[in-house]
Amino acid sequence: MSPPLLEVKNVSKSYFENGKEFKVLDLVRFELSERDFVCVVGPSGCGKSTLLRIIVGLDEPTSGQVLFEGQPIRADNPQVAMVFQSFALFPWLTITQNVELGLEAQGKPPEERRKIAQKFIEAVGLTGFENAFPRELSGGMKQRVGIARALAIEPLLLCMDEPFSSLDPLTAQNLRDEILQLWANPDLPPKAVLMVTHAIEEAVYMADRIIVLSSRPGRMIAELQIDLPRPRNRKEPEFYGWVDEIYSLIV
Amino acid sequence: MRGLRGWLRILAVLVILVAIGTAVVFPEAAVRGLQLPLLAIFSTTRMVIAYLLSLVFAIAYGYTAATNKRASVIMLPVLDILQSVPILGFFPPALLFFVAAFQGHPLGIEFAVVFLIFTSMSWNMAFGVYESLSTIPVDLEAAAASFGLRGWLRFRLLAFPAAIPKLVYNSILSWSNGWFFLIASETFTAFGQTYTRPGLGSFIANAGLSNDTAGIALGIGVLAAVVLALDTVVWRPLSVWSERFRMETTTGREVSRPPGLYERFRWLPRFPRMRQTFLAAVRPIGEAYHRASVRLDRVYSSHRRVVREIRLLDLALFLVILFLVVSAGILGLVKLFFGPLPADAGTIPVAAVSSFLRLAAAYGIALAWTIPVAAWIGRNPRSSRFVTPILEVFASLPATALLPVIVGFALFLVSSAGAAGELAAILIVLFSMQWYLLFNLIAGVRGIPGDLDDVARSFGLRGATYWRRVLLPAMVPSLLTGSITAWGAGWNALIVSEYIPFLPGPPRLNGLGYLMDVATFVTHDNTMLLLTILAMIAVVLSLNKLVWRPLLKRASAKYRLEV
Repeated sequence: MSPPLLEVKNVSKSYFENGKEFKVLDLVRFELSERDFVCVVGPSGCGKSTLLRIIVGLDEPTSGQVLFEGQPIRADNPQVAMVFQSFALFPWLTITQNVELGLEAQGKPPEERRKIAQKFIEAVGLTGFENAFPRELSGGMKQRVGIARALAIEPLLLCMDEPFSSLDPLTAQNLRDEILQLWANPDLPPKAVLMVTHAIEEAVYMADRIIVLSSRPGRMIAELQIDLPRPRNRKEPEFYGWVDEIYSLIV
Repeated sequence: MRGLRGWLRILAVLVILVAIGTAVVFPEAAVRGLQLPLLAIFSTTRMVIAYLLSLVFAIAYGYTAATNKRASVIMLPVLDILQSVPILGFFPPALLFFVAAFQGHPLGIEFAVVFLIFTSMSWNMAFGVYESLSTIPVDLEAAAASFGLRGWLRFRLLAFPAAIPKLVYNSILSWSNGWFFLIASETFTAFGQTYTRPGLGSFIANAGLSNDTAGIALGIGVLAAVVLALDTVVWRPLSVWSERFRMETTTGREVSRPPGLYERFRWLPRFPRMRQTFLAAVRPIGEAYHRASVRLDRVYSSHRRVVREIRLLDLALFLVILFLVVSAGILGLVKLFFGPLPADAGTIPVAAVSSFLRLAAAYGIALAWTIPVAAWIGRNPRSSRFVTPILEVFASLPATALLPVIVGFALFLVSSAGAAGELAAILIVLFSMQWYLLFNLIAGVRGIPGDLDDVARSFGLRGATYWRRVLLPAMVPSLLTGSITAWGAGWNALIVSEYIPFLPGPPRLNGLGYLMDVATFVTHDNTMLLLTILAMIAVVLSLNKLVWRPLLKRASAKYRLEV
């Protein structure tokens, strides 16, 4: 049997200041397989973002290990792509150039880059803005660029760090639905999604599985399988049941 | 707005009229005027060479300091000291070095001049690069890392563009600094001999020496034209273009950009058609650069180990050369300066105090006129529309070029040579200080948020209360940044101002600049020179560390206007 896509093995992270240890994450462990949509939720300051940075290889865990397809993770792994809360678009590059970023780093020839970028710009509904600069776009459109940029490298795993929390509620809801639509299309990457959020409702709305972290240091309190049918309805009592359960776990 | 042709026609007519007028009134000056374009080209070439050197240095130094933690421990303090050292302090030793190295050959003097301009340009540019690289948003760095940007590609797509706004901003500052020192350094006397390199600076200085009014006016006029032309065709488009590289805030909210140090370029014509032709002409360069960089990317990614070995070899070579140069320099210094303390070393403290008082006097005068004028210009953009260009033409002229005019003015006001020398010295310092204050203060006043002004007005704050509660507090941060730059420029101007060659009678001004000049050019007393430079560095550094920095820190905590 092939190993799972992603294995997070007993990851702990501490910062040291003046010889004192500040524990941020404590023995976090879970796995991700193909077609998994997993959300990590927890109160602010529980080390969610640190966990995500460790998972994509931008940070080193103090102890423990992250394996991707059985190998230790590396930051520049082209099979893993990241979407940021602050969008992290390059202000001096056009939308097309931003989307092409990862492809350029892989050394793909310009014509091929342009074709792939065009495809994903279309997929996120930004046709016509190819030559615009990020500052000319609204927040929601910027995050679409961020998503297109991540999908363009055709990753197996898509990591999202609070992707909707700097958008207004209406834009955020539209974008959530669009991401779920993209996710429902099996021809498009990625094979699995890992999202970090502090909004419980958002997690219940989107995820197949939710990992609940406690406040500092971040410890796993629960791992819940959300078996609600899609598309989910926020007004149903079952939906609220899940939200309430997670809420009581955290508080 | 007139088209390009309209502007050119007006310009041509003006030039022809002025030329005919001059030729009729001063036929001799007209003949000499013909050489001015050539001299302007010489001077500008020196500036361009020094600027390109500074650019390469600034990017390399700033990039290394920002990316290499271990190197930055040494590199940052060194840069900090270099930045606060009065640049002219470098000049006498550099001159001695280059003149000796080339055995008096003119090439050595050219090197010395370019080196001096380089030292006046490069430090703040390097700091700009370092600052912008160390303030790249964390997420942007993370994005670059997670999408696999490395080596040259990372530099081209992330580091270099991120540095552009501050680099351009500091380049404009450096460029006007450069003019100041270019003009000061094109002619000088050393070892009982006068060295002159052809250029606008030496032209003006010679005209001053021979009391040639028309020559002075012509020289300054051409200099102003060159400075303004370069501002129009190079710096203004560059500073507009660099706006594109400014980081956005994460909130996505529109935040008004920080006010520039210079309120410059607002009124300059933009010459859109000429700019397009120019852009079309340089486009092949950009394309070649892109092709080369793509090839470089490929080389980098396919021969990673070879590249690393080349880099190691490079580093080793650099270290060997550095070691040779440094040890030779130390040996030379020990030989030069080994000896007992000179008898007149005791005059240094008094000289330092009188130099400081001179600067303080000029600073006081500058404050007295710039605060009200800045308040008026900043709050009445419409009615000040016609004043700003005039002020800017004056500001664009390096104080060193105005030397003959200032001396003439001082002699006209006071009859005694001693008092005239004192007045001229203060005026020169004033001219190199005041513009930094003025343009910083204008930016500060313009930066007052409209809301705050509205609140003040709706509560009926007027007159003295308005000044005390709104205007002056809002000016404090920009007053301090302006003051720091102004004092730096003032210390630099000392060497020029305390030793004016074309004053009647022996110039006798007690001051550090005077001591430095005498030690270099008259007595050739190297120990004295070194001691004076050290004294100046000590005074400037302690003023910066003990007065300006703490003040700035407190002011930015208390008076910063958050938008």
